[in-house]
Amino acid sequence: MNYTLQFGQVTPYLWYLAGGAWIALQLAVVAFIIGWAIGLVCASITEYGPKPARIAVRSYVVFVLNTPLLVQIFFIYFALPDYGILLDSYDAVLIGLALNAGAYMSEIQRAGFRSIRREEIEAAETLGFTRVQSIRYVVVPHILKVLYPPLSNQFIIITMSTSIAAIFGVEELTGRAYNINSITFRSLEVFSISAVYYIVLTIVASTILYTVGRYFFRIKGSVF
Amino acid sequence: MPSILEELPRFFNYYNSIFLAKAFLYTLVLSFVGCGVGFLAGFVLAILRTRRINRWAGLRWLATLWVEVWRRIPFLVKLMVVFFAFQFAGGNVSMFTVAATTIALSASAFSAENIRAGIESVHPNQWDAAETMNMGGLTALRRVILPQAWSVIIPPSMTYSVGLVKSTSIASQIGVLEMTSVAKILNQKGFSAALCFGSILLMYFVICYSLNRLAAYMEVRLALPRNR
Repeated sequence: MNYTLQFGQVTPYLWYLAGGAWIALQLAVVAFIIGWAIGLVCASITEYGPKPARIAVRSYVVFVLNTPLLVQIFFIYFALPDYGILLDSYDAVLIGLALNAGAYMSEIQRAGFRSIRREEIEAAETLGFTRVQSIRYVVVPHILKVLYPPLSNQFIIITMSTSIAAIFGVEELTGRAYNINSITFRSLEVFSISAVYYIVLTIVASTILYTVGRYFFRIKGSVF
Repeated sequence: MPSILEELPRFFNYYNSIFLAKAFLYTLVLSFVGCGVGFLAGFVLAILRTRRINRWAGLRWLATLWVEVWRRIPFLVKLMVVFFAFQFAGGNVSMFTVAATTIALSASAFSAENIRAGIESVHPNQWDAAETMNMGGLTALRRVILPQAWSVIIPPSMTYSVGLVKSTSIASQIGVLEMTSVAKILNQKGFSAALCFGSILLMYFVICYSLNRLAAYMEVRLALPRNR
């Protein structure tokens, strides 16, 4: 054992790493929003669409859920150029993350749709609600409350998955950790510090999501 | 598309097929060893977090801290930390050990959560009843609580294991010869990327889909009579 930990050599780069965390967060937010939209469309088609579309969407979802994100992005980044689709690494990672998240969020939102019972809408009709009103005041609040916890959980998962972008040379948190590692060679220090960054990042994100859920959707639960 | 069909026989020649089959086995063994060790570690952690058995709060917090820390680090970063931590400790270990340890760390965190949820799903009166029968904490766990908890523990643990099988693809970053790194090697040998990555995507799909189906089957099979 002739390796001594020297965190001092890494400290000049702490702000640089924090910038990486910011990029990772941006990547996660964009991927989450696109993935949410994909998931909403896919969930609506699986629940209410015509049969051929339903089969197509189901096979996309099942295939993506059962294959690794890394290999999916490898496929997008290395195989698609053969067919004339050239993407730079950031876009390839973003598309991969969004398609992956879309499949997961399709399953989540499908469960959300299923949680609405016919009786709720009938009750709203009995109270004289119009169709728009019953969706606005009965269905949407209910769905939001059911969907919020799993969707915020999915956001945390996406935030952690953005570290895969480093493999494709995107300079987010892990990518910047690779850079610092090749400048200073203090590998263990660099990667344990970036691990702490991820822990702080996800705890902050969980806390914010929890607070929003608590005050806007009245969801009980805890951060941990 | 036609170019891929022409390339198929050349891609699946004898040596490539053996290479891919070995990688397939490697991925399976890596996942199995990692998840197995991790599940056992998670079991110990869950026991440490159970108030009825471990009455020392400090140890309970340590177990919680362990779970929270390893749950919140991305697999790639965890892999790097484990890799360089082994180097720091001066152990000359194989890449398989590094990858399996990383998987075991992830598995220990999630299975601790699952097992704890399983233990908590059993009504607390059962603990009291066991205590009345003069059973100690561990005996009560083994004879009373766990037989009722398995149905809550096993299905989600299997679903999470699928996630870890998918995570093994990231272990290609330290050069273990599992499926993803084999696909990269074949791609660098000049085979088209669509074929290399497409074929391992299918191989991952075979593993993960069957595991998921098994988890769904177990969920129905293990369901307690009252939930059926």
